Amino acid sequence: MSEVFLKGVRVIALTQVWAGAWTGHLLSDMGAEVIKIESSTKLELYRRGKEGLNKESHFNAYNNGVKSCTLNMKQPEAVEIFKKLVKISDVIIENLSPRAMPGFGLGYDTLKQIKPDIIMVSEPGFGSTGPDKNYISYASTVEAVGGLAASFGYLGGEPATPSIFLADPTGGMYGALCVVGAIFHHRKTGKGQHIDVAQSEAITTFLPEVIMEYSMNGRIRPRMGNRDAIMAPHSCYPCKGRDKWVAIAVGTNEEWKAMCKVMGNPEWSKDEKFADQYSRWQNQDELNKLVGSWTKDFTHYDVMHLLQKAGVAAGVSFSTKEMYNDPHVKDRGALIEKDHLEGGKVLTWRAPWKSALTAQNPTAPLFGQHNSYVFQELLGMSDAEMAKLVEQKVIY
Amino acid sequence: MFYKVLEGVKVLEYGTLVDAPFCARILADLGAEVIKIEEPETGDESRRQEPFLGDIPGLERSGLYQYVNMNKKGITLNPRTATGYKIFSELLKQADVFIENNPVKRMKVLELNYKHVKEINPRIVMTSITPFGQTGPYKDYKGGELINESMGAVGFDSAREVDVSLEPIKLPGHIFSFQTGLGAAVGTIGAAINQTMTGHGTYLDVAEQESIMQNLHAMLRYYYYKQVCYRTDVLDRAPAHILKCKDGYIHHANMEEVQWQRFIELMGSPEWASGELFATYTSRAKFWDALKPLLEDWLKDHTMDEIYRASQDRGSAIGAVYTAKDMFTDRQLTAREFFVDIEHSENGKLKYPGVPYRFFDLPRETPAAAPQLGQHNEEIYCGRLGYTRENLAKLKEAGVI
Repeated sequence: MSEVFLKGVRVIALTQVWAGAWTGHLLSDMGAEVIKIESSTKLELYRRGKEGLNKESHFNAYNNGVKSCTLNMKQPEAVEIFKKLVKISDVIIENLSPRAMPGFGLGYDTLKQIKPDIIMVSEPGFGSTGPDKNYISYASTVEAVGGLAASFGYLGGEPATPSIFLADPTGGMYGALCVVGAIFHHRKTGKGQHIDVAQSEAITTFLPEVIMEYSMNGRIRPRMGNRDAIMAPHSCYPCKGRDKWVAIAVGTNEEWKAMCKVMGNPEWSKDEKFADQYSRWQNQDELNKLVGSWTKDFTHYDVMHLLQKAGVAAGVSFSTKEMYNDPHVKDRGALIEKDHLEGGKVLTWRAPWKSALTAQNPTAPLFGQHNSYVFQELLGMSDAEMAKLVEQKVIY
Repeated sequence: MFYKVLEGVKVLEYGTLVDAPFCARILADLGAEVIKIEEPETGDESRRQEPFLGDIPGLERSGLYQYVNMNKKGITLNPRTATGYKIFSELLKQADVFIENNPVKRMKVLELNYKHVKEINPRIVMTSITPFGQTGPYKDYKGGELINESMGAVGFDSAREVDVSLEPIKLPGHIFSFQTGLGAAVGTIGAAINQTMTGHGTYLDVAEQESIMQNLHAMLRYYYYKQVCYRTDVLDRAPAHILKCKDGYIHHANMEEVQWQRFIELMGSPEWASGELFATYTSRAKFWDALKPLLEDWLKDHTMDEIYRASQDRGSAIGAVYTAKDMFTDRQLTAREFFVDIEHSENGKLKYPGVPYRFFDLPRETPAAAPQLGQHNEEIYCGRLGYTRENLAKLKEAGVI
C-alpha cells in the first residue's frame, strides 16, 4: 500500500445526503478505509433518485473510495453486528437526525463501552445539544439562521438565497477536521472523543465581518452586492454574448493605471472623479457603467487575459460549462471523470488539495457492494451465517 | 486555543488576509503553536480592512484581523534581507508545518518555495494556498474573493432569486477564503498525522478555485448530465425562498408534504391552501408567484421569531433570516455558548464567533487575542533563537524585523 495520510484508519459512516458523505469522501482521499452502513429499509435520499439505486449522480459524486455494506439497524441482530464492527474501527461519523443513534441504542456512552478509544463525530444542523437541536435543518435553513441570507443580496435589495449550498460541504469539512484532529490526539494519548459540529455555527464562522460589525459597532452590515469596502472597480461587467460577464477588482492606483492603458486611456478615465481610490469608490456607480461600456465589446476571456497580463485581477464569471471546459481547470485535474460500475461516466471531485500522498480511490460503491468483505473478511462470518442474515433481512 | 488536541505541533505562518491565516488559526484553535510572520511596519493586509472598532482604523483595530488571527503568536520579519532569510530558515527548521499564501513567483524569488523549504527541513509539511494553484496556465493570475468566486463558477449563478438582466453577485465578505482555509487545515493535519508516524514531510497545493468547486453540487452536474448551462435554465428552483414578515424575513423550505401541512395549520388553514393549484410540491413550485403574496399576507402580521419557533415546534421547515443582532440573543447559540469573549489589551473585551464543534470529553479552553504587530518578537528571537535585546534593536534598525 502506498503512503497515504491516514494509513490503517478504519471509519464507520452512518452518513446520508451530502455533509456526512463529504466527510467520508475526504477521509477516503486521505487513505482511511471508510465503510458506509446502508439499508433498504431506509434508503438515503441520494439512493432514491430517478436514475436508480446505483446510478444516482449525487451519490456517485460524493462517496469516492467509500465501501458500502447493508445493515437493517431496526433488527437487534444488526445492532450486535454493528457493535462488532465498532470493536475493529477507529472512527464513527454520522449525520443522521440527533435522535437516530440513541434510538438504535448506540449513543456514545454505549459505543465507548464497546471501544473505549472510539472517536465519534456527528454533524447535526444546529448541534446535538441545546433547545433547538431537533429543528429541521436543510442547508438553506441553517444558512439563513447562520446569518448568510441576511447579509447576501444586491445593494439595497432583499436578502437572497445562494443557488449553491455551502452548509453541507462546510459541515462535512469541519467534520473531517474534527476527525483528523481527534486521530492526531489519539496517536499521542490513546484517547477517544465525542464531537459534534453544528452546521449553522459553521456558516457563522465564515462571516466575521458581519458579526464583528455588530459586536464592535452595534451595526447590522448592509447587503452590498459586489461592493468592496474600498476597491473600485469591483464588480462583474457585461461582455460579448448571451449572459457573459467578467469580474474585475482594482485595488491600487498602479492597477488602475494599468487598466486604463489596456482600455486605451479613454477620455473619461482621466476625469478627476476617478483620480484616486477614494474618488473611484465614491463614484463607483458611474465608473461601473463606463467600465461596462468598454467590456461589452470583448469576450469575457479576452478581458481576463488582457487585464491579467497587465497585472490587474480579472476573471471570467464562469458558467459551469465554461469552467468544466477551461484549459486551466483541465490541466489541474480537480474534477475527475471516472467510469462507475453501473452509473456510467461520473463526474466527481478530489479533495481540495493537490498532494502526492492523496489516495487513488475507485468511484462510489454499489449498494451493499462490500457485504462479503465486511461481514466475512472483517467479521469472520461463514457463507451460511451470512446467507441466513440476508434471508432474515438483517443484512438488508 | 479552544481544545488541546494538537499539542506540541509547531506551525509557521507566512500569510495575509484570510485563507492561509484562517488555516493556521484552525490549527491554533486545536492547540498547535502558531507563529505568524508579518511584514515589518505594515503587517497583514487584513489589519487595514473593515470593520474597525468605533470606525477608527488602526493596525490593531480590525475585527477581521482580530478574528482570523486569535490564538497565535506574532513576529515581524523581512525575508528579503540576507539576515531575515537566515532567521526565516531557522524558524523553518524548528517548525513541523509551514502555511503560506504568497504569489507563486514571489515564493520562488524569496527561495521559500517547497523546493527550497524541503532542503531546509525535509520533514516539514508545507501548505501553499493561491487563487489558482501552483501549476497550470493561470498560476500567476491575480485573484481575490470576487475573482475566485467567478472562476469557481459559484458567482455566475449566485442568487437563487436571480434576475438575469443584473450582474452576478458575490457572497458577503470572504466566505470562500474561509472555506478554503478550512479545507487546507483538514489536509494539513492529515499530513501532520503521517509526519508523526513516518517522519516524512509533504506538500499541499491548495487552489481557491478548486476549493470553491466543492460547493457546486447540482450546478455542475446539471451541465455534465443534462447540458444545462444558463442562469435562466437551472431546473431546481424549488419553493425554498425568503419571505417578508412583520419585523424581518423568514426562510421557507417546506419540501415534504407533512411539513407544508403543518405550516398551513399554523396559518389557520386558510381556504386558498386547499386549492388544486398548491396541492403538491411541484405545483407549489410552478405557481410560486401566486403563492408568495398569499403567504406574505399572513406573514406580515407575525414576527420572525414567532413564525420560526411556532413552525419548527410543529415540524415545519422554516428558518429565521438572522442578522448578527438576532444571533447574539438566539437561545440555541446562547445554550451552546457559541460566542466567546476575548480580552484585548487595546480594544478591551469583545464578543467573537467561537468554533462550531464541541469536543465533549475535553475542557474548552479560553481563546487568546490576536497578536499585536511584532508582539512576540522578543519571546521568539531572544527566547528561541538566542538573539540578545541589543541584537533585536539592531535587527529593527536594519529593517530585518
